[in-house]
Amino acid sequence: MTSPLFEVQNVTLRFGGVVSLNNVSMHQNRGEILAVIGPNGAGKTSLFNSLTGVYAPQEGSITFNGEHGALSVIGKKPYRVNAAGVARTFQASRMFSAMTAFENVKIGAESHKGLGVVGAMLRGPSTRRHERETDERAWSLLRFVGLEQQANTLSASLNYGARRRLEIARGLATSPSVLLLDEPAAGTNPAEKNELTTLIRRVRDEMGVSILLIEHDMKLVMSLAERLYVLNFGSVIAEGTPDEIRSNPAVIEAYLGSTDTGTAQGGL
Amino acid sequence: MKNLNASSLKRWGSLVALYAIVTVMTGPPGNQSAPTLGFTSSFSESVSFFGLFPAPRGLFFAVLFLIIGGGLALYRRTALKRVLSGARTAVAPRYAALTQRKATRGVFYAIVILVAIFLPHLVTDPFWQSAMVSQIAIYVLLAIGLNVVVGFAGLLDLGFVAFYAIGAYTTAWVTGALPAAAPFHHAINPFWAIPIAIVFVMIAGVVLGLPTLRLRGDYLAIVTLGFGEIVTIFLNNLYGVTGGSTGSNQIPHFSIHLGPLKYLWGLDPVPYYYLTLGFVVVFLVIFSALEHSRVGRSWVAIREDEIAAESVGINPLKYKVIAFAIGAASAGFAGVITGGQSLFINPATFTLSFSINILVLVIFGGMGSIIGVVVGSLIIQSVSMYLIHTPPAGFQNSDLYIYLGALLIAMMIFRPAGIWPSKRRRREIKFVATGEELDQINGTSDVNGEPV
Repeated sequence: MTSPLFEVQNVTLRFGGVVSLNNVSMHQNRGEILAVIGPNGAGKTSLFNSLTGVYAPQEGSITFNGEHGALSVIGKKPYRVNAAGVARTFQASRMFSAMTAFENVKIGAESHKGLGVVGAMLRGPSTRRHERETDERAWSLLRFVGLEQQANTLSASLNYGARRRLEIARGLATSPSVLLLDEPAAGTNPAEKNELTTLIRRVRDEMGVSILLIEHDMKLVMSLAERLYVLNFGSVIAEGTPDEIRSNPAVIEAYLGSTDTGTAQGGL
Repeated sequence: MKNLNASSLKRWGSLVALYAIVTVMTGPPGNQSAPTLGFTSSFSESVSFFGLFPAPRGLFFAVLFLIIGGGLALYRRTALKRVLSGARTAVAPRYAALTQRKATRGVFYAIVILVAIFLPHLVTDPFWQSAMVSQIAIYVLLAIGLNVVVGFAGLLDLGFVAFYAIGAYTTAWVTGALPAAAPFHHAINPFWAIPIAIVFVMIAGVVLGLPTLRLRGDYLAIVTLGFGEIVTIFLNNLYGVTGGSTGSNQIPHFSIHLGPLKYLWGLDPVPYYYLTLGFVVVFLVIFSALEHSRVGRSWVAIREDEIAAESVGINPLKYKVIAFAIGAASAGFAGVITGGQSLFINPATFTLSFSINILVLVIFGGMGSIIGVVVGSLIIQSVSMYLIHTPPAGFQNSDLYIYLGALLIAMMIFRPAGIWPSKRRRREIKFVATGEELDQINGTSDVNGEPV
């Protein structure tokens, strides 16, 4: 595997006069747990939205080399990008709140299995077989994230940590090559954070799904990520392993200004 | 507890306001010399108190509203209590989808269908036999079709009547009843117009849907409203094609000539009733299967959160267009029946208020609930027909929509999810009603100020 999974070249994204991403280049290798960090407003979520087809950057190119060949992401709709093998979670978790946890996962598992409106109307044997397969797949994923006890719970009534895990299961249900996690630990308590760290690592190790994550919690990022990019004001200011990033003066400055580097290093 | 009192006070206050408005609006008019007479006599004029004894209008309506409001409030109270006690029991760990079906339901449906089959023998009044087709069964068809669009996919369509019109005019066209020549100059029987009209209407749904369904919410409602108006204006103005405002009155009756199988529908509405009933059942089965299928779940997902739906691989535009086309199909069929049974169509039938009338049936019954919409349509249309056929003393036909409007407002105040909400909706209401408590039980930590 020579070609990287994600290849982002000189991407610039503007909203009117505001430059959200400025000439960003990065890549993700297969099987890698990669993290993007940066202060608030640095463009992390904009980058995610560009990678998943929600935003279409004006300049540059984004290539995703999934199982079905290379896909040029810019200009593709999010559902097309998802079909190619990119799944994601959202910063403020977006569940289908009128559905149970089980149905949330099931909808991910069945979205790419042909349309079958006629089959759905007639409920033929092949439709029923598909239903059984997707049921089983949804079950196994709920077990994987440890939510089988809450399968029948309305997703809106799950607690925060459970919703995070459910969102991961729903993303995994679409059989992705890479899972993009937008601040998965935001708003979770320390115990839930530890569970999440273990879960994310298991996703990569047991399912072979690469991970790209945005996270503010430095402890979590530094223990999980194998490589990091640091964004500030829409530009990549640093790239490297957690150890390299920790001692990078540009990163320390971006996070805490030019003074008080001692605290900054402690924080990182 | 204080909040509960305040909100129920507000509800009852609105009901009192509604009572005053309805009493005055349906009351006698005033005159120039005594401008307040219309107001005062609306309350003081004597009317028959449910046919028992004469009473002032004000009292009669007060009792009527107390019965409706009290009934709805009582239902609300008891339903809430049941929900509150149920919330403490642990959630069963086994999987039971919100859309799971039960065997008892099958028995229930079988009984309902049997009753529907024997109904024309029980109701022999010609007015009612005719109304059962043209005012009830047709409206049920239209309401379950609109329910697919509004209830399942969450798309507010205010121009649904356009599909009904296209179905009816397609029938007139292929049967050679329009100034425009029938296709290939070969007029056919309305019975064979059914598939043609359904296909035409579905195509119309796709044609309207593809450009407009990129819009959301209010914008979509306005565009569909415009579409409904455009169709009516076309029907009115394309004199040489559609017959203009006089429409068509030469649509033949339905008939089947298939080898040994011969049947002719005549002026008797009962055979039309059975034909329509058969199709209502077919549409109900299809729509219900769709609701519980992948397509139905995708609609729910799009309705709930379109961005999240796209991120799990659902193409929102595709599923919305499917909803439009499938919902339109039943309206197209209703159009064929209307054309074949009444033998007469003109553009005056297909107005905006007709679209809104259908929407009222859907909202009253419970958006997204097939049974609810059917029951709601049956109740509203039967009561309306009863009031028109045997008007109680003091009732004027022109007041009907004031009463229906008041009923709808009362529903929105006391039971906003409709009289028979879908299982999914019931569950959501239950969660909202008990959400605070659940959060306390679970001890959620989402108070940690999450960045947006």
